[in-house]
Amino acid sequence: MERKIPLPLLVLAVLGFAYMLLPILIVVLAGLTSGEFLTFPPEGLSLRWVIAFLQSEKYLSAFFFSFRLALMTMVVSTILGTAAALFLSRSRFVGRGAMRAFFLSPVVLPGVVVGFALYAFYISAGMGISRTIWGLWIGHILYSTPYVIGTVGAALATYDVSLEEAARSLGASPWRAFRKVTLPNIAQGIQAGSIFAFIVSFGQFEVSLFLSAPNSEPLPIAMYNSLRYKFDPSAAAAGIFAITLVTASVLLTNRLVNIRRLLDRQ
Amino acid sequence: MGRASPLRLNWLLVVPLIIFFVIFFVIPVGLIFATSFNPQTIGQVSVTTDLTLDNYVRFFTRSSYLQAAGRSVMLAAIVSAVTLFVAYPMAFVIAKTEHPGRNTFLMILVLAAMQLDMVIRLYGMMVILGDNGLVNQMLIALGLTGPDDPVQFMYNFLGVVLGLVQFSLPFMILTLIGVIAGIDPSLEEAARSLGASRSRAFRRVILPASMPGILSGSLLVFALSISSYIVPALMGGFRVGVLPIHIFQQVAEGARFQFGATIAVILFLISAGAVAIYLHIGARRSGGLA
Repeated sequence: MERKIPLPLLVLAVLGFAYMLLPILIVVLAGLTSGEFLTFPPEGLSLRWVIAFLQSEKYLSAFFFSFRLALMTMVVSTILGTAAALFLSRSRFVGRGAMRAFFLSPVVLPGVVVGFALYAFYISAGMGISRTIWGLWIGHILYSTPYVIGTVGAALATYDVSLEEAARSLGASPWRAFRKVTLPNIAQGIQAGSIFAFIVSFGQFEVSLFLSAPNSEPLPIAMYNSLRYKFDPSAAAAGIFAITLVTASVLLTNRLVNIRRLLDRQ
Repeated sequence: MGRASPLRLNWLLVVPLIIFFVIFFVIPVGLIFATSFNPQTIGQVSVTTDLTLDNYVRFFTRSSYLQAAGRSVMLAAIVSAVTLFVAYPMAFVIAKTEHPGRNTFLMILVLAAMQLDMVIRLYGMMVILGDNGLVNQMLIALGLTGPDDPVQFMYNFLGVVLGLVQFSLPFMILTLIGVIAGIDPSLEEAARSLGASRSRAFRRVILPASMPGILSGSLLVFALSISSYIVPALMGGFRVGVLPIHIFQQVAEGARFQFGATIAVILFLISAGAVAIYLHIGARRSGGLA
């Protein structure tokens, strides 16, 4: 039998995967090195930088700040995004394609501009949240909600609405039929969407740039500020925890929804 | 007899998100547009009714800003082309991997890379490509370059391109997979049975059929990479002046909100333009449902 993938393409693909993944692997190694910085060949492995991270006021507080912010963002994005996805999937409103595009647009529009716009808005509206967790929260919700809409929308697209109609014809009230039949069927899509919302917020840099302050600093901003001046291996150790969190989240998403199907609508 | 209709979902479901987006997205971005037409006043944030085109005149008559705009556009275009070249074989392999476990494994790798914080990925890039980085250490050990003469992969245009390609790869791959997987295998078989070689069938059948994905993936990557602040900041070391860097410098360092807003509007319009074409192509492909 003939191989399906031509050899030159396979070789290029392997090189491409290396380019995509090697930097991530290097961060793990840099966080586990026993030297002051990563050398080739590596000096040896140790947990000294992991311990340094766990004892560092700066990174550990930024890590927990990001974690809290991501949880707060996840809750609001999941509620607003799920409700909007339900509307978009069932409404026959002519402008719903445009509305969907509008809700998804923050993902591809410049985060620096949106962050700056929110910063200017908070100040000129006298809201007093320009450099607090609340200001960051709003910016992160804008960037996380589209992922919930996309994921829940994909779950709804494969859900057969006649199930709910069947429950209705057997005498269930509209709300009861929705709650008992539809909601359990899309629950995994909602859970996957909320995980996406969490990690998008946890890794958000661009929109946070204008909205952070030294005492309210998410992890990416804290790492960026130290990386501008020197390579701090304890930042790489912080990175190891973030890599673990993201990998676990994607694996969990994969158990909840069919990742391959998720992309059909992107 | 009453029809057993599903729960009638009304506008109340979507109104909270609409209100949220209007207050915290439309109005702030509108405010930036309005601010860009106000005269430059250092430290002044609030919008006034005093309208002027001075900021735009300044932008379009100072060569440094025009060059930054040109550099940004050229950078994003180069990154789109390079990313396409690197991503296509990867997407092809994923699309043609039929074993469900292996396919899912590759997809997880792409999604995890996409979702991982860019600052962390850039840390890895800098350890690899810096002046004392792993590649230079290797080149010096092999005697290909002198210890005091490292190859400059970073703090220049090349470094920003390398970083942005790393950033954009997952987005391009995900866009291409769907299109490549959707190409009917019988097309290639037909070409082969008519005597076309494998590479000829690939060039003449598969590649043209992937064109919609190639186009929308490139526009997506263009919009994402022209907007990036973090990659030019770290990989370019502020030596590659692109529009996002200029915005931050004007606003955060110079407190020149009005001129910063002008650059922001210009960046926003370029990026939104690319996104609009992207959506238009996507809408045509999926019959208007995108």
